[in-house]
Amino acid sequence: MKKVRGYLNSIIIWAITGVLVCLTGLLIFFFISYSKTLRKTEQKEHYDKYYAMISTDSKSSFWQSLYKSTFEAGKEKNAYVDMISENLSKEYSETELMEIAIASGVDGIIVEANESDEMTEAIHKAYEMGIPVVTLNTDNRKSERISFVGISNYELGSEYGKLVLSMATSKPFPDESIKVVVLVDANADDLGQNILFSAMQETIESASKVIVKPIEMSMFLVDESSNFSVEESVRNMFIENRNDLPDIVVCLNEIDTTSVYQTVVEYNDVGLVNILGYYDSEAILKGIERNVIYATISIDAKQMGQYCIDALSEYLEYGNTSQYFVADVSVINSSNVSAYREEEENENKAP
Amino acid sequence: MKTKLRNLPLQVKMMGITLSVNLLVFMINIVLLFSINSMADKIDTVYRANLELNELSASIKAVQDNMTEFLNTKTSDALEDYYKSAQEYEEMVEDLDSGVSEKALDRMQRSIKNMSYIYLNEVEQTIEAKRGRNVEKYRERYDDATKLYGYINTYIYSLNNEQFKENSENYRGLVTSFRRFETAGNLIMIVVIFANALLILKLTEQLIRPLRNLKGMADEVAKGNFEIASLPVEAEDEIGVVTKAFNKMVVSIQDYIEKMRKSAETERELKEKELKMEAHLKDAQLKYLQAQINPHFLFNTLNAGAQLAMMEGADRTYEYVQVMAEFFRYNVKKGEKTVTIGEELELVDNYIYILNVRFSGEIHYEKEIDSSLLNVPMPAMILQPIIENCVNHGIRDMMGEGKIKMSVYRLDDVACICIEDNGIGMDQETIEHLMNGTPISSSKKSSNGIGMDNVMARLKLFVGSEDVMSVESEGENKGSKFKIYLDIKETDDV
Repeated sequence: MKKVRGYLNSIIIWAITGVLVCLTGLLIFFFISYSKTLRKTEQKEHYDKYYAMISTDSKSSFWQSLYKSTFEAGKEKNAYVDMISENLSKEYSETELMEIAIASGVDGIIVEANESDEMTEAIHKAYEMGIPVVTLNTDNRKSERISFVGISNYELGSEYGKLVLSMATSKPFPDESIKVVVLVDANADDLGQNILFSAMQETIESASKVIVKPIEMSMFLVDESSNFSVEESVRNMFIENRNDLPDIVVCLNEIDTTSVYQTVVEYNDVGLVNILGYYDSEAILKGIERNVIYATISIDAKQMGQYCIDALSEYLEYGNTSQYFVADVSVINSSNVSAYREEEENENKAP
Repeated sequence: MKTKLRNLPLQVKMMGITLSVNLLVFMINIVLLFSINSMADKIDTVYRANLELNELSASIKAVQDNMTEFLNTKTSDALEDYYKSAQEYEEMVEDLDSGVSEKALDRMQRSIKNMSYIYLNEVEQTIEAKRGRNVEKYRERYDDATKLYGYINTYIYSLNNEQFKENSENYRGLVTSFRRFETAGNLIMIVVIFANALLILKLTEQLIRPLRNLKGMADEVAKGNFEIASLPVEAEDEIGVVTKAFNKMVVSIQDYIEKMRKSAETERELKEKELKMEAHLKDAQLKYLQAQINPHFLFNTLNAGAQLAMMEGADRTYEYVQVMAEFFRYNVKKGEKTVTIGEELELVDNYIYILNVRFSGEIHYEKEIDSSLLNVPMPAMILQPIIENCVNHGIRDMMGEGKIKMSVYRLDDVACICIEDNGIGMDQETIEHLMNGTPISSSKKSSNGIGMDNVMARLKLFVGSEDVMSVESEGENKGSKFKIYLDIKETDDV
C-alpha cells in the first residue's frame, strides 16, 4: 500500500515537473512564433522595376481600375506600378509629377497625357534621362513617348454615332430636329476629339436615309482645367439653355458622364435629355439600370493595363515597341447591363 | 545515480527542491522578461524612423539654407557650412532604402534617395556656377534645385505621415499583442506558482514519508506490539539513520523482553516446586493426624470398653464409655451434614454428661425446650463447640458452681437457641472477635479442633445472612449469652 502511494507520489511529481517544463516550452514557442509573425509582416517582396503612373483624376474609378489592372499586369513582370500622387500630401500638376517621377529615377512612366507643350517638354526630359514614357488614354503626339495606349477615337466616334442613330430611330423626339451635344475638353487642343466628332458625324450621315428627323450635332466645351470645373460647366449648360436643352448628350469621360447624370436627375430632365456615357463605373451602371443613361461605352481596362506594361517591358528589353496599342470598347445598355455586372462579379471573384 | 541522490543529507535535498523550483520560476521569468523586452524594443523602433526622418528634413533644410546663404553672400563660411551640411545630408541619404517593394514607405524612401542625389548634384552645380559667376546658369540651377527641394520636402513630409500612420497601426497591434502576452505570462506565472507549491508539497511528502512510517511504527511499539517487520531504509540520509536506530531498538527491546519472560518462567517454576513440597508435607501431616484420630477406631475401641464394663458389671463405667462412643460417633457421622436441633441437643447432653463425669458434676445444665422446634434443621457441630467455649472460657476459671442453661423457643418465625452461662463473661473486644469470626489467638486449644470462628462461618453460610448469632455479656463475672436464630419455615418442609 505504502509502496503504491510512493509510486503515485513520484508519478505526480514527474507529471508536475513535466507540465512546468511544457509550460516553459509553450511560452518560448509562443514567443518565437510571435516574433516570426512580426518578422513576416516586415518581410517584403522586392521588385525589379518601378513604374510611375500619373493622372490628373487618379481618384476616379476609371483611373482606379486602370491603375489596378496596370498594377496587376506589372506584378507579373516583377514591376511595381505606383500612382505616385497617391501617397503625397500635396497636390501636384501632371508636369510636376512627371518631374518628380524623373527625379525619383523611376524605370518607366505611364501618364495621362495631353497635347500641351509642358507635357511634351516633360516627356522630353524623361526621354533625356532615359526613362520611357507611355501615354495612356490621352496622347501627346508630338512628344517622344514610346507608345500610346488607348482607344481608337474613330472607333469610339462611330460607336457613339451608332448609338445616336439607334436612339433616333427608336425613341420619339418632340422637336423637329434631334439635338446632339458632345462634351469636349475645352483645354485640350485635341485632335482625338476632332477625330471622334467627325467619326460620329460620318456614321450618322452615312445613315441619313434611315433617319426620320434631322440630327443637329454640336460641341460643348467643358472646362476641365481645374478641380471642380467640370461639374460647374455641366451645370451651366443646363441652367443657361433651359429652353433649348439637347436631346442627346454625349460624354467622353467618366466625370462628365457622372456629372450630366446627376444634373439630369436633379433638374428633372429624365426622359428629355438622353445620355450617352463613357466608362462603366458603379454610378453609371446604376444610371443605365434606372434608364437615365441610355448607354455607355466600356473600355477594357485590363487590356489597357496589360498594354502599358507590355510596352514598357518591351522597350526596356528590346529598345523599341509598338507606337499604338488600341484597346477594345463595348457598349453597355439596359439590355446587357445585368449580364455585364454578373460577368464583372465573376471576374472579381475569380482571383 | 538515483541511490546517490537518495543518500544525500536532508538539508541538501531540501535545498535542491527549493533551488530547482526557484530555478524554474526564474527561467520562466527570464523568458517572459526577454519577450517583453524585445517587444518593447520593437515599439521603440516604430518611432525611431519618424525621428530619423525629422533629422533628414532638418539636414536638407540646412543644405538649402546654406546654399541660399552662399548665393546671397558668397562668403567662405557659408560655403564651408554648405559643404558640411551637404556631406551630412549625403551620409543620411546613403542609409535610405533603395529597393522597390509593396510598401509605399520603401518606395518613397527610394524616391527621396534618388531625388536627393539629383538635388545635391543640382546644388553643387549651382554653387559652381555662382563661383564661376555664371549668373544666368546659377539662377536656373537654383530654381531647379529649389523645385527639387520642394518635392523632396513634400516626400519627406508625406513619408513621415505615412510612416506615422503605419507606425500607429503597428503600435496598436504591438500593444495588443503585448497585452495579450502579458496576460498569458501572468496566467502562466500563476499556474507555475501553484504547480510549484504542489511540487514542493509532493517532494517534501516523499521526503518525510519515511518519517511518517517511523511514527506509525513507534505508535505500534508504544501500544506494545513488538511483532513488527523492520522498517525499510529508503535512503542513507538522517531519516535513514534514525530508521536504522529505531529498527535496532525494536530488536533489542524484543530481545530484552524475551529474556525477562524466560527468567520469570524459571522463577515461577521454582515457586511451584516449593509449593508442591509444602503441599506434600501438609498432606503427610494430615494423613498422620487422620491416622491418629481415626474415629472409627476410637469408637470401636470405646464400644469394646463398654462391653467389657458391662460384663464386669460396672454399670456407670459402661454408661460413661457408651456415651463417649455416641459422642464420637456423632462427630464422625454428622461432621459435615445438616442435622436437627434435637440431634444437636442430644450431642450437647452427651457432652455435658462426659464433662460432668470428668469434672464430677461441676456443671449444672438446664434445658428449657420447645419440643415443636426439635425438627428445625441446622448445621452439625454448632452447639457443642459453643458449650465447650462456655465451659472452657466461662466456667472453668470461676469460683463456685458453673451453670449452663439451654433454651429453645419460638420467636415469631424464628427458632431461637439460647445458651447462657454464669461464667466470667467476656469483654467487648472478645465479643467483636467472635462476631466477626476472626479467630482469637488462644482459641487453638479447643478440644476437637472446631473453633468459634468455624461455627460462626458455617452458621452464616447455612442461614445465608449475617445476623444469625448474637453474643452478649453484661460484664466481668456476669456470664455470657449466645443466641442463635434459625429460620423455622424450613421445618415445615422437613
